[in-house]
Amino acid sequence: MIRMSNIVKKYVMGDEEIYALDHVSFRVKPGEFVAITGPSGSGKSTLMNIIGCLDIAQEGEYFLNGQPVESYDQRQLARIRNQNIGFIFQGYNLLPKLNALENVELPLVYQNIRAGERRRRAMEALEQVGLKGRIRHRPQEMSGGQQQRCAIARALAQHPSLILADEPTGNLDQKTGQEILTLFSHLHAQGNTVILITHDTSVAARAQRQIHIEDGKIDEKEGNG
Amino acid sequence: MILQSIKMAFKSIAGNKMRSFLTVLGVVIGVVAIVMLIAIAQGANSAVASSIEGLGTNLLTVSVRTQRYNPVSMEGLSKLEQQPSIARVAPLVTTTGTAKAGVTTYTDGSIQGTVPGYDEIRNLEVETGRFLTQPDIDNRSMVAVLGSEAAQELFGTTRAVGESFSVSGYTFSVVGVLASQGSSMMGSGDNQIIIPFTLAERIFFQKGITSFYISAGSADDVTVAEYATTDYLDGLFHDDSDAYTVFNQSSMLETLNEATAVLTTMLGGIAGISLLVGGIGIMNIMLVSVSERTREIGIRKAVGAARGNILTQFLIEALAVSLLGGLLGLVISGVGLAVLGPLLDITLSVSPSVALAAIGFSVFIGVVFGLYPANKASKLHPIDALRYEG
Repeated sequence: MIRMSNIVKKYVMGDEEIYALDHVSFRVKPGEFVAITGPSGSGKSTLMNIIGCLDIAQEGEYFLNGQPVESYDQRQLARIRNQNIGFIFQGYNLLPKLNALENVELPLVYQNIRAGERRRRAMEALEQVGLKGRIRHRPQEMSGGQQQRCAIARALAQHPSLILADEPTGNLDQKTGQEILTLFSHLHAQGNTVILITHDTSVAARAQRQIHIEDGKIDEKEGNG
Repeated sequence: MILQSIKMAFKSIAGNKMRSFLTVLGVVIGVVAIVMLIAIAQGANSAVASSIEGLGTNLLTVSVRTQRYNPVSMEGLSKLEQQPSIARVAPLVTTTGTAKAGVTTYTDGSIQGTVPGYDEIRNLEVETGRFLTQPDIDNRSMVAVLGSEAAQELFGTTRAVGESFSVSGYTFSVVGVLASQGSSMMGSGDNQIIIPFTLAERIFFQKGITSFYISAGSADDVTVAEYATTDYLDGLFHDDSDAYTVFNQSSMLETLNEATAVLTTMLGGIAGISLLVGGIGIMNIMLVSVSERTREIGIRKAVGAARGNILTQFLIEALAVSLLGGLLGLVISGVGLAVLGPLLDITLSVSPSVALAAIGFSVFIGVVFGLYPANKASKLHPIDALRYEG
């Protein structure tokens, strides 16, 4: 599913080179539920950007579903994000002017799926996250938990091979956060591959396996599961 | 995909009503300026052209430089009239004089000596009575045909047939009154006092024919008629082409049309600048929109929008604004011209080619000024765009 070897991402600050990711290697198998943990500044956001094909590494190899992502151009990366990766962000990142249904349909628009099929898949995903009664609501008319469910539905509607969640409970209260995490467990149980990025160890505990990152480095044994 | 982009564009335009309105307004003003200025220039042109045509469409005017010996004769003109391309020929002698009828005097009259047929050549319409006849010429009858203004001034009515007046001691009886022509390029035609040519020659001591009018058989014959006339005069004056001038009505129209074309282009160009300013307005707003919607662009890219998708979306937005402005401008111009036409007493209309050009130009403006902001939006890096806090 995911195979990374010796991924390097570094920034130049003044005369100094700072390694955000220092020769990171790990694997994730299909159907796994993995948490990537680490304190802020550890490089986990950079890692998530690379896993999610929002960014590419400077060195190393990254295979996603057997595809060598590090050699792809912006257009190919956009297609991979569109077809293989369902993002879930801490800040939900829904478009404020679109209602729940339109938000969920958005990635399908870029997949060139016909309106009817798009509607069907979006409805199915919204039902899965328990938002069937809220499809005409705009993001600001929904609670935080509902917005995050909507964002999850958007990821599910893509039928992605990987669900990538970045601090999905960070903006939610304890109870709502637990509900969202339970939803992730369900998704995993249905066979989805889920990667959850968090600094919260109690959240990470819900995953099958944890990968700890610190100062841009991963424990090799953890990385290969 | 394109349909979705159009939907999204209209959503975004509708979402910012005031701003969209002002941007569209810039384009509307540009299009209205172009369309209306061109329509007014063209309307004025056709008004002037039709007043020239009112003088007689197939008209040739010949003037002869007075010399010791003037070879142009009535007989010669009759022969010229036999040419197949020529319908009528009429000599004209013009002078001024004070006309008196009882205690009334009329000093503005233009006394013209001519022959039957002149009315046809100049499209004169006799309202009451008759025009000159051949016996009037042969007998040097003391008769006159008056323009409507001359009749009105002398007798207080245009129903003046049978009245009489005197000029320089000669008494004329009125046999006809012309319908009013209104004023034209060549001055008012309503102050004429038309008398037989032979009589005018005698009493005003005019010797020889110094100017005459020719009407061609049809508009297509004008050039042939001009050649025939030139040939005839060259024969008379032994190829001294400075001795006479043949003035062609259609070449004057051509000159007028050329002058108006230049004027129209110039006005259109000046108005085009205001459309350009409208285009800069679009660019300005699109740039603001791109930075305001950076996060939206980031989200779209994260869920899989490629550069092309974003580019299309913003380009369609710019196009929609400019096209909307173009169409609205056309409608407003149409209404404006319908109101302005009767006020200026000119027929004003939007020609299809101007309408097409205005729409085409606004689309062009939309693309040109939308391209830079759209390209800027499409090039945003998804991570930076997502992190952007607007």
